[in-house]
Amino acid sequence: MAALLRSARWLLRATAAPYLPLSLRLLAGGPGRPHAALCLRAARARPVAGGLLSQARLHSIAAEKKNDLQEEPTSSHRRNASQFDWALMRLDNSVRRTGRIPKTLLQKVFDNTCHSGSPGGNQALLLLRSCGSLLPELKLSERTEFAHKIWDELQKLGTVYDVSHYNALLKVYLQNEHKFSPTDFLAKMEKGNVQPNRVTYQRLIAAYCNMGDIEGASTILGFMKTKDLPVTEAVFSALVTGHARSGDMENAENILTVMKEAGIEPGPDTYLALLNAYAEKGDIDHVKQTLEKVEKSDLYLMDRDLLQIILSFSKAGYPQYVPEILEKITYERRYIPDTMNLILLLVTEKLEDTALQILLACPISRESSLNDFGSFFLRHCVTVNTPPEQLRDYCKKLKEAQLHTSPLQFTLQCALVAQKFDLAKVLMKALKEEGFPIRTHYFWPLLVGHQKEKNVQGIVEVLKGMHEMGVTPDQETYVNYVFPSFDSIESVRAVLQENGCPHDDNVFSQAELRSKAVNGNLDYILSFMESNTLPFSFASLRGSLILGFRRSMNINLWSKITELLYKDGRYCQEPPGPTEAVGYFLYNLIDSMSDSEVQAKEEHLRQYFHQLKEMNVKIPENIYRGIRNLLDSYHVPELIKDVNILVEREKTDSRKTSKPSSSDLESKLEKLKAENQPIGDILKQLILMLCSEENMQKALELKAKYESDMVVGGYAALINLCCRHDNAEDALNLKREFDRLDSSAVLDTGKYVRLVKVLGKHGKLQDAINILKEMKEKDVLIKDATVLSFFHILNGAALRGETETVKQLHEAIVTLGLAKPSTTLSSPLVTLYLEKDDLPAALESTIDCYEKYKILPRIHDVLCKLIEKGETELIQKAMDFVSQEQGEMTMLYDLFFAFLQTGNYKEAKKIIETPGIRARPTRLQWFCDRCIANNQVETLEKLVELTQKLFECDRDQLYYSLLKLYNAFNIFLTAKKQNIVFDNEAYARLINLLLMKDNSTQAMQVKDFAETHIKGFTLNDAANSLLIITQVRRDYLKDALTTLKTALDLDQIPSRLAVTRLIQACALKGDTESVQDIQKLVNGLEDSIGLSRMVFINNIALAQIKNNNIDVAIESIENMLTSENQTVDPQYFGLAYLFRKVIEGQLEPALEKISIMVERLANQFAVYKPVTDLFLQLVDSGKVDDARALLQAPVMKSLLELIPELIDKEEAYSCLMKSYVFDSDVASAKALYESLTAKNVKLNDLFLKRYAVLLKNAGESVPFTEPPESFEFYAKQLKESKETHL
Amino acid sequence: MAASAARGAVALRTNVGRPVAFVRKIPWTAASSELREHFAQFGHVRKCTVPFDKETGFHKGMGWIHFSSEEELHNALQQENHVIDGVKLHVQPQRPKALQGDQTSDEEKDF
Repeated sequence: MAALLRSARWLLRATAAPYLPLSLRLLAGGPGRPHAALCLRAARARPVAGGLLSQARLHSIAAEKKNDLQEEPTSSHRRNASQFDWALMRLDNSVRRTGRIPKTLLQKVFDNTCHSGSPGGNQALLLLRSCGSLLPELKLSERTEFAHKIWDELQKLGTVYDVSHYNALLKVYLQNEHKFSPTDFLAKMEKGNVQPNRVTYQRLIAAYCNMGDIEGASTILGFMKTKDLPVTEAVFSALVTGHARSGDMENAENILTVMKEAGIEPGPDTYLALLNAYAEKGDIDHVKQTLEKVEKSDLYLMDRDLLQIILSFSKAGYPQYVPEILEKITYERRYIPDTMNLILLLVTEKLEDTALQILLACPISRESSLNDFGSFFLRHCVTVNTPPEQLRDYCKKLKEAQLHTSPLQFTLQCALVAQKFDLAKVLMKALKEEGFPIRTHYFWPLLVGHQKEKNVQGIVEVLKGMHEMGVTPDQETYVNYVFPSFDSIESVRAVLQENGCPHDDNVFSQAELRSKAVNGNLDYILSFMESNTLPFSFASLRGSLILGFRRSMNINLWSKITELLYKDGRYCQEPPGPTEAVGYFLYNLIDSMSDSEVQAKEEHLRQYFHQLKEMNVKIPENIYRGIRNLLDSYHVPELIKDVNILVEREKTDSRKTSKPSSSDLESKLEKLKAENQPIGDILKQLILMLCSEENMQKALELKAKYESDMVVGGYAALINLCCRHDNAEDALNLKREFDRLDSSAVLDTGKYVRLVKVLGKHGKLQDAINILKEMKEKDVLIKDATVLSFFHILNGAALRGETETVKQLHEAIVTLGLAKPSTTLSSPLVTLYLEKDDLPAALESTIDCYEKYKILPRIHDVLCKLIEKGETELIQKAMDFVSQEQGEMTMLYDLFFAFLQTGNYKEAKKIIETPGIRARPTRLQWFCDRCIANNQVETLEKLVELTQKLFECDRDQLYYSLLKLYNAFNIFLTAKKQNIVFDNEAYARLINLLLMKDNSTQAMQVKDFAETHIKGFTLNDAANSLLIITQVRRDYLKDALTTLKTALDLDQIPSRLAVTRLIQACALKGDTESVQDIQKLVNGLEDSIGLSRMVFINNIALAQIKNNNIDVAIESIENMLTSENQTVDPQYFGLAYLFRKVIEGQLEPALEKISIMVERLANQFAVYKPVTDLFLQLVDSGKVDDARALLQAPVMKSLLELIPELIDKEEAYSCLMKSYVFDSDVASAKALYESLTAKNVKLNDLFLKRYAVLLKNAGESVPFTEPPESFEFYAKQLKESKETHL
Repeated sequence: MAASAARGAVALRTNVGRPVAFVRKIPWTAASSELREHFAQFGHVRKCTVPFDKETGFHKGMGWIHFSSEEELHNALQQENHVIDGVKLHVQPQRPKALQGDQTSDEEKDF
């Protein structure tokens, strides 16, 4: 030994200074100093295995490794770079935040690395280094196993290991106290053709020393000597451990003297080795003495070191000394993760009591958000199967120590997640004893676990457990969590009985019923309801029954069940009674359906209503009205009359005296007439009522009888009624009478259109045209819907082949200017001939339209027909015409689409491959949409295929269309069921599509699936941006932030909108930190994204204000604006957003301070932009008084003169004018106008409009032409023009 | 997809203008009956949903309370603290979906 130490002295003399200055040591864990950390780590190979973690960031691993690998010349290296960075970021984040890595994360990164093909050396190193003390939640042996798995797997994949990998593995061995043979290890290295270096030897020495094998250590030391390698403090520290473990404490202590002799002052590592040695022996006195000695020296032990001593005591079986060391811990905030990791490690080692002791000593602030700080401990106890009673006791202690508000509940949740039934039972009992209720849904996670494995016995056990706990399974438990594991509900009943599992028959039956209903088994429902003897709540069944109805299309069963509900004494008989209950059921049924569903099932529903009528089922009128409104909003008013027949009229009459029946009204009318009193009002009322009852005959009779008392309103309703009943003759006569009564009276647009339709249909063309003329004369409002109605009138006529009607009405509509000719409106002119297969006339008509109106209606259909019929000459004619009028490209596209449509793909291919043809997105989109509308899958697929090489073609758009048609999500689901996995691109496109269609839930489903099935699944820029926007909208800000990180890691440029929304959302939450994180993330990319610095300035300030850090926010803004080196030019320092949000949020204290700040900036620093911004925002939000208080208008005026650089002068003038208008201050407004015109300032229309209105209101003349449009118009115009200038 | 779009439309139609509170951060120990019980103090709860994840047997911490009237919803929103099982809930009005699209559309221009 002496020789060995002598040689060490010699070595040391040769190598100068000791390796570890204190300053460097303290830098450990500090960010941005990888090399400091690195030296430290290399030098401080911990002699004690399983050592607590240094927080040194994993970045240092990468930094170190990158230096080592500089010559590694692989191309895959670069390819893997982004993959590596991603993995690094995940692991690094975890280590930085918590000082540990969860096993699942490491597994995930490992899997991803394997999948990436040939993992690089850096990745391998990163993974290996993670397998030591960074995994406190894993048993030591498991960690080493993990490391070996990684080692072998990566080697198989072709990773080449160098000395750093072997060293890393050694370190993991040391940390995991793995027993191995150092000579074998060296042999392994030799076989791998890798030369050991100083670090290798150092660690091998540590390995020997850990086993107490001084001889082995000496051998290695000998090697080092022959190679002239320096002996560092780490070696000495290891030797301290080695001697101690070999039972030779005396020599262990001597090492310190030897070191000093050799010229190395023992550092903290050496002392720590010694302290651990004492601790392992349970020698508290020496530990204390040594600690005192260190304290007196200029050395310094960190919390981390003290924790290490605690670990040594605990593992050696001396927990009684832990408190004495705990007292010395300072609990610096940055060591809390270390403390947590020690606690986890102790739990892993089944030293839970000691772990709890340390936890309880943690000075965590009790009232802060960390009030459930103890969660990590409880969760880990559950994982390592700490005995239930013991855990229960811990819960109690944590609660008493206020380290957890609800430890039992939390631990129960962990137990449920981990499917630990026995533990769960103990915890539930404890909860119950403490007076907490045990709820049914507590058992669901357990049932889910068994359900996944179809474990019937397990389910029975849980149900029994529920019974023990005094909980009765409810319907939901059966329907959602029990039934699915069985083949049939009958077998559930049998199994429960067999196992003596108690169950409430009533609940069970109702659950069964619900289950059957949801599956559309209406037969069962009916027979159950017929034979049922149990009391029964219809309300509980309503939802399932509605689902069942919608799943089954058997209308007879629908009706029978409804009848039973209505008539049978067992159901719906209590107040409010069957009429009401069934009425609501019908309402809910229709309400639950979508409009397309109702439209598709129109006939079924009609049948259903008629069958109900037959069965004498009635519904209240108010519910009928609700249903009518629903049907109206679904665009199926045709069903209204069919529901109407169910209305219970008699009752309505007697009950609601306020609403008399038509017969009541009629007798009243007659009575009034007889008394010679005015009857106009009541007559109109009666007519309207008859109209709503669709009783045309009676209404017309009544009109004839009391013609002289008819008023305009009555006529209008009658005309409409006749139109509905297709009665052109009476409609026309009524219209004439209506005109006679009051020639200036105007009908509403819809009634005019209906008249035109009916008259046209009955060949009364001239009358129809007269109506159109009247519409023009009386300036009836023409809406988009009106134009569409015109089209339908024309198209209906065209389909009936009524050439004259189409031509004349079209001519009238267009020449009167009621609608402009368009490819849609004018298409019936062509349809006429296409329907008759008269192709030459059809083509002629299209060409005619072009000559008259410059449109080519239905050219595509005409071409298709020509191609089908092989009309070569006509095709040529059409093509010549199009080519000449609209250019060759248009012609080629027309032909291309026509060939595609008619299945002539070869010809289509030739066309699209014409040299020089380019993509025309709008035309391609038009065709895509057309294919989608007509469900032409093949055609669209061909389009996508043929346009592959088309120049400048947006493939994404085409794929979207294709996916749309594929009903993509369903395909995804089907494929998922069949375990078919698509490629990355397919999923990415699908997600993008779903996000674009705002189906974010489905998008997430696809994303989750893709992520678990495609290693390294990525989305493209656009999809990630959309995803961020969606996540922000759904308030998943953390996820959105992760997405942003992911996108940036992939070198994507997210959209400005996405980033801005995320920033704004975080700011509104007061999350300053996230906003700053984002700023760091996008640092350097601002220009590519298009982000202004102001986004951050505004939002950070907003977040701070939301957090009540108003002063901080204001101070930092003020500093930015007044400091010497400004990053943003003051005139671009726009704070309008911040101000608006503060005003909108009514954050009065903040607003007040901001006001003071902007005034100060203006007065003392001559910075005027903020004051103007605030002024404008105040005016904008109607706070004119505040604006004025901030800045008197004269001040504003002088400001405008003062600040030539103000960019938004125009807006400021507008605002000033606006404030004068508010005040009706004509004189000032005049002065402003005159001064501006004198200066030749160009005034916008909004300004002029305001001024003009002010003058007019004041009764003064306007010295210019008042802009004719509305305020809104000019405001919008101004806004738009500003946007285009931006 | 059509079906889901249709469902979306139904949801939209159902929620626009109807008094619904959107509740987040519901503790795992509480389910719809606990929520209903709590919110009954503010008015008549027509419907209360706390969807459970059938894959895990836990709910996701979110729920919807349908009140009979705007006033009742208002009452509920007025109350500052909603605590169930010792956990503070986040309660906010359910925003009509149609509005959400526009909300930020003009906000980017300020920069």
